[in-house]
Amino acid sequence: MRAVTLYAVVDVDKCKGCTRCERVCPVLAIKVENKKAVVDPENCLGCANCEQRCPEMAITMAPLEQSRVVQESLAGVDMAAVIDLCRRAHLHPKQIICYCTATRAEEVAAAILKGAKSPEEISRRTGVRTGCKVECIQPVLRLLHAAGIAPERPARGYQWYGLTPTVWDIPEEVKKKYAQRGFYFDEDRKLLDSLVGAGEKGGE
Amino acid sequence: MLRAPVMPLPPRRSQYGVAPELVRKRAAELPDMVSVLVRDLFPDAAPVIYPGENGLEMIREATRKQMEKVDLSMIKPGDSVNVLGSHHGFTLLGGAPYAEMLRTIRDVVRERTGCTDIRLRVGVGLRFRESEEYIKAFGLDEYYEGKAAGVAPVDEGVAIETEIGTLYGIKKIYDARWIIHAHNSDVREVHFHRQVDRAVKPFGMSYARIETRSTYHQNLGPRAANFVARAIFDSPFVQEKFACAVFLMMSPSGVVGVDADNDLYALNDRVTYLGCRDYGKMMTLLGEIDEAITILDFPSPVPYVFAAGVIFANFAGANRDLFDLDDPLPPYTWYTEAFYGEDGRPLIEGVPPVNPAIKVVIHNYAWGGYPSAFFTEHIPTIVVGREQAELLNRDPQNISYTKHTLLADDLDTAVRFAKRVAGTDKILAFDGASGALNVSRSLGEYLLQKAPLVSRRVDDELLPKWLKQRGIDPSRFKIR
Repeated sequence: MRAVTLYAVVDVDKCKGCTRCERVCPVLAIKVENKKAVVDPENCLGCANCEQRCPEMAITMAPLEQSRVVQESLAGVDMAAVIDLCRRAHLHPKQIICYCTATRAEEVAAAILKGAKSPEEISRRTGVRTGCKVECIQPVLRLLHAAGIAPERPARGYQWYGLTPTVWDIPEEVKKKYAQRGFYFDEDRKLLDSLVGAGEKGGE
Repeated sequence: MLRAPVMPLPPRRSQYGVAPELVRKRAAELPDMVSVLVRDLFPDAAPVIYPGENGLEMIREATRKQMEKVDLSMIKPGDSVNVLGSHHGFTLLGGAPYAEMLRTIRDVVRERTGCTDIRLRVGVGLRFRESEEYIKAFGLDEYYEGKAAGVAPVDEGVAIETEIGTLYGIKKIYDARWIIHAHNSDVREVHFHRQVDRAVKPFGMSYARIETRSTYHQNLGPRAANFVARAIFDSPFVQEKFACAVFLMMSPSGVVGVDADNDLYALNDRVTYLGCRDYGKMMTLLGEIDEAITILDFPSPVPYVFAAGVIFANFAGANRDLFDLDDPLPPYTWYTEAFYGEDGRPLIEGVPPVNPAIKVVIHNYAWGGYPSAFFTEHIPTIVVGREQAELLNRDPQNISYTKHTLLADDLDTAVRFAKRVAGTDKILAFDGASGALNVSRSLGEYLLQKAPLVSRRVDDELLPKWLKQRGIDPSRFKIR
């Protein structure tokens, strides 16, 4: 769940149309048209990525007159399918995957089951990836992958590049090689597995 | 041995915090506050070269001296070199020593190699313009002749093939023929990296794209996380560019020296040893505190405010031994945060609570720009000043931070209320005071009484265990 309180405003006199903003927007809500950045206020979630990366300092964040909430409802979703998808992504449905919005895996899974096919669509529906814009990309990609979806990267964008390894993928020879250097791969895997396998309200 | 409070450095003007003029009173100015010097707590603490009477000259001299032992012959006059920095270095003692080290590295490389295309690239945490602010404040762009830049994890990336698969770095970090890793040994996020490969960490964080950072915090687990840094550093792509590492060596007392090496893992072992020894004592001591009101009073986000080299996030986990790798889950990490259900209860057994000794937090001065709602959900918190609360409410990473906080008009009111509800007069300020802890008299006396026992326990019992867990033979190092 994401409360949206801000939106991006472009100073067209400063904007040089470099497209940096367009390339970093996690919800594709800003586009360069006729060499000037244009914000789609309906879709802007106020994450400030564009404001933070604009080399011309041409973007400011302004308060929305009326804040709004972005959240994917679990109503009407097959909860067994949600749980199954989360588990296939090695996630507990109730675990937080976005620390800024406290969004849980089940909400993202529900968005996918309701038709979201890319990280951008998921962000628009749930608000994930619009706080720090950094930490939650992998669980989002893992859930899409577990659903059999291979999303297409936004053309020329820097929004995300790809799925990366998990503790379930570490080769045995790597584990063996670094066992004496303080990396606890198998023990951490066991810990994460205990979470994935825990009951919906906690406990086994 | 209780002394007058050490006045911390003034607030820093930044887009991530309230304006300095809005910080009307510091914790050190409260009545009954005293300071306890690190060297009074631990008389065997290493001597510092900064702060000191020779000021930054000592940093310059130490950097030059250490770089003499480093081979730079691979750098040719026509080559390009990226000196890689991180925002973190600028949070240490006001940032001047780190900036001086970065200036000196440039001078030495230029003098010894004849290379003129030397750039500075400074990574960030989650405040994407923070390094730009430091570059400007310390005149580093002028020093690097217009070739200094802050880089962010959402900037254009580069795929890096590693022994565990593809990870991603920031393209601008690696856009030179050579890289020099210019970092520091401050332990800081021991809850995240667990002092495993501390010196390597920026390759998985400050220099890395979002995919890699997310791998660290979501994909690997609390004790395997920092392997992404080693995987990237060991990749042929990075090895082909790596020239050397230069580190500002820190302790809870200040800068103890500079270290440099062509072999990052040799330097890493020294960093691991010193970090466990020096910070281990301070963290273990803070873990002995039975009850305290904690005042955040430093220009960094909530978890990163400092007290004698220890950050608040470490104090939030000081009820456990964060260096002990047999203990899987610290009371605060993002993995831990993920493990709490909607009802505020852990989803599995064995999730340690946030340090119950922290009775109340007073947020007198700390920045946004890092998801910190976990702390206000778990610890009663009073925010001082409406402007500060509003700043947090506008921060996309902290939209729910003030949902669980009280608001006080001023620091005195907050402290009076905190003392009444917490039933303690023990106060610990995280204000970055140099070489000291600013505390209430009662807590100062308590710490002085506990410190000798803690020191012996770390030396005799904990340090050997911590080093063994990290594959380091303590006999390689001179034990004081």
